[in-house]
Amino acid sequence: MLVVENLHAGYGASKVLEDVSLKVAQGRIVALIGANGAGKTTTMRAVSGMLKPGKGRVLLDGKPVQGYDASKIARMGLAHAPEGRKVFGPLSTEDNLLLGAYSRLPLFFGFRTKAAQDLEKVYELFPLLRERRLQLSGTLSGGEQQMLAIGRALMANPKVMLLDEPSMGLAPVIVQEVFNTIRRLKAAGITLLLVEQFAKSALEVADYAYVMERGRIVAEGEPAELQKDERVLEAYLG
Amino acid sequence: MLKRFLLIRGTELIAFTLLGSIPLMVSNSYALGLLTLLAIYGILLIGLDVTVGYLGQVNLAQAAFLGLGAYAAGLSISLMGAGMFSALAVSTLIGLIFGGLLAFPALRLEGPQFALATLSFSALTTTVLNELEWLTSGAQGLHVIRPAFFGHPLNANGFYWLCLILLALVWMSMRNLLSSQWGRAFEALRDSPIATDAMGIGTYRHKVAGFALGSALGGLAGGLYAFNFQYLQPQSFVYELMVILLLGVVLGGRKSLWGAFFGAALIALLPNLLSNRLLFKAISAFGLFAAVFAGIRGLMKKTTQPFQAIAPIAAMSLLVIGGMMVENTEDWRKAIFALMLFSVVVGLPEGIMGFAARFLTQLFRIDPPNLPPASALEDALPAKIPDQKPLLELKNVKRYFGGVKAVDGVSMTIHSGHIHGLIGPNGSGKSTLVNVISGLYDPTAGQMLLNGIDLPMGMYKVSETGISRTFQNLQLFSELSAMDNVMAAMKGVYHAALPLVLLGFAKAEEKRAQADALALLELVGLQNYARISAKDLTYGAQRFLEIARALARKPELLILDEPAAGLALPDVNKLVEIIWRIHKLGITIILIEHHMDVVSELCDVVTVLDGGRVIAEGAAEEVKRDPKVIQAYLGTA
Repeated sequence: MLVVENLHAGYGASKVLEDVSLKVAQGRIVALIGANGAGKTTTMRAVSGMLKPGKGRVLLDGKPVQGYDASKIARMGLAHAPEGRKVFGPLSTEDNLLLGAYSRLPLFFGFRTKAAQDLEKVYELFPLLRERRLQLSGTLSGGEQQMLAIGRALMANPKVMLLDEPSMGLAPVIVQEVFNTIRRLKAAGITLLLVEQFAKSALEVADYAYVMERGRIVAEGEPAELQKDERVLEAYLG
Repeated sequence: MLKRFLLIRGTELIAFTLLGSIPLMVSNSYALGLLTLLAIYGILLIGLDVTVGYLGQVNLAQAAFLGLGAYAAGLSISLMGAGMFSALAVSTLIGLIFGGLLAFPALRLEGPQFALATLSFSALTTTVLNELEWLTSGAQGLHVIRPAFFGHPLNANGFYWLCLILLALVWMSMRNLLSSQWGRAFEALRDSPIATDAMGIGTYRHKVAGFALGSALGGLAGGLYAFNFQYLQPQSFVYELMVILLLGVVLGGRKSLWGAFFGAALIALLPNLLSNRLLFKAISAFGLFAAVFAGIRGLMKKTTQPFQAIAPIAAMSLLVIGGMMVENTEDWRKAIFALMLFSVVVGLPEGIMGFAARFLTQLFRIDPPNLPPASALEDALPAKIPDQKPLLELKNVKRYFGGVKAVDGVSMTIHSGHIHGLIGPNGSGKSTLVNVISGLYDPTAGQMLLNGIDLPMGMYKVSETGISRTFQNLQLFSELSAMDNVMAAMKGVYHAALPLVLLGFAKAEEKRAQADALALLELVGLQNYARISAKDLTYGAQRFLEIARALARKPELLILDEPAAGLALPDVNKLVEIIWRIHKLGITIILIEHHMDVVSELCDVVTVLDGGRVIAEGAAEEVKRDPKVIQAYLGTA
């Protein structure tokens, strides 16, 4: 579904990514792990078009999308739930969700019925968001905001979803909740690329994983294999 | 090092010598008038650059200060018979006083409101100058006689030299000031006002001082302006001049003395040069050439977007074509300015000088100045001997936001030398509690005692008591280098008074601060990144830099607000190592953290909050087994 081939990218003169290739197959969860500054977030930004890649190709459902604007890539079916959640604080939960569907919903006629259907799907997955639907999203707790960020990405009905550090700054009990959410997404058949600091938990939910170091992919494999790899074990799984 | 010194100081020396010797080589009173104006505008723009460049505020009052200074000089001669020197002193003082008065209310405002406040001040000023006819003779204009300079009457050459010498003096003292702790404070303010207060810099004080200083230079320039033209009208100091001054700073390049100088040259000389058709064609052709060159260079190096390259070329082409079609370029002056401004703002956002500086440092391979060797850690951060007594006592502390009880009666005691963990679910009030302790929020109720003494209100005052902190959402001074971030917060190094700083006698303490900052960067493992801008560091390095900056306050109590958030395992291990090192120096630590293994490894005592109240307290292992904590926070995985 998502194929990245020999991707290079950087900020200004500094190169961050060198020759990154990875694949995310339909309905699978793929984890990307590595140290801070290894280039995980940059990979996501280069894939979703928030950063223009230098060289290489990004294929979404077989179509090349590298070099397109982020908004165009989003309309083609790629949703990015960024690091740090980035919800629209002064807006209500429901408005945040509706903005996620902005590019798909009809402008005038049929907006309400269509929007209600989409919202219903997200509320089924996250009943807590229904309780908070009129609350300003800036006043939600960290875990709720994370659910909202995921829900907002889902509203775009994406082919592929990028999930960047969903557990960042969350209490352990909420982190468990987030990983349960990811399992639910998996059960719902969502295709997902996941960046996560809690490498152990990420490997538990993932079908396949890549390890990044200094802008390159240095290891890949099924989680079970990676967990046997001495080097990965020592550096990231503790 | 020597090369750097020779190139930079040498260029300045040559430029000023050249400017000074022009009247000896050519005797052209028209050219001399332009050069005099250049020197005056130079002083004016250096002053304006303090607010616009360093404080990052749009200041529309500089033209008014020019006018106030001019009238002050003129009136002090006609009413009091002052000499040139005392008249200039009066105009500078007037600028300083009115600048200070305006700064007090205006600098509580930000962005557009500040711009509007300065705009209304300048409208007020011109109206008053116009209407106080008995004093200023209003719209008729005021004639000013150029007085003698200490008994010697000055001819045109002499007056030009006086202006040039004053520009050189202003240049040198501003360079000393802006490369000192003051300049760093100005920039820190622009990047993160919250952190400047928390790091004991004093946001408001520096803002007012910076603005008053800039206005004083405006007043000085006004005095010279009065003696230059010898005839003043309130209409000369209205909006149009203000916009042109702003344009000069942006075109020349902000945060740069050379930038202000080029800006001054542009606004003093260009209108006159433009009246000559041949010169105008040469200038517009040069502009087009520069736009094409910069555009192609930027595109090749991939530092500019295509739009950024094409728009200036289009604007400059328009200028060249327009130049061929238009009869009288003088009438089109403003349109020409507009096109040039547009090109520069789009194509060279850092101004002509910003671009040139980058280009020239690459061309001549000028290295940044050498760093002194790092101080020994015990000099930079003297170790303390903890006595295990209560250091910080909180008694029933509350903080409500409207109806939300974020902190609802927390009592806890932090013992000296401990690492005290603070955990709890998101939204349980941990960050609010820390913000109350550090003075960002005032408590709604309750008592906080540090060493048995009540904590003062306000971040700046708390930062003076020996409490220092990091922020959950990074609050670095993003434009400053790693070392400057630490130096900006440095406590107990800077003692020199402002006049000494202006005269350049504060270099020794600057070196000391650099050495101490390097020692602290070494402590967190960033000694090799001292010159890198904070915003270009990796996320992990930014987290560590905040810790080093907080340590520059030489704290007794260090509050770390989620230092491991977003850190991967290798960096988490590094962080634990750093916290141990700080602990060994005898510094008491409050640690807010969600990584339970970090908390259990480090903390002597852990307090658990939920819903703004303490639900458990004790050793980490005890707390972990507490059913309330498991239910609210840890979960049952």
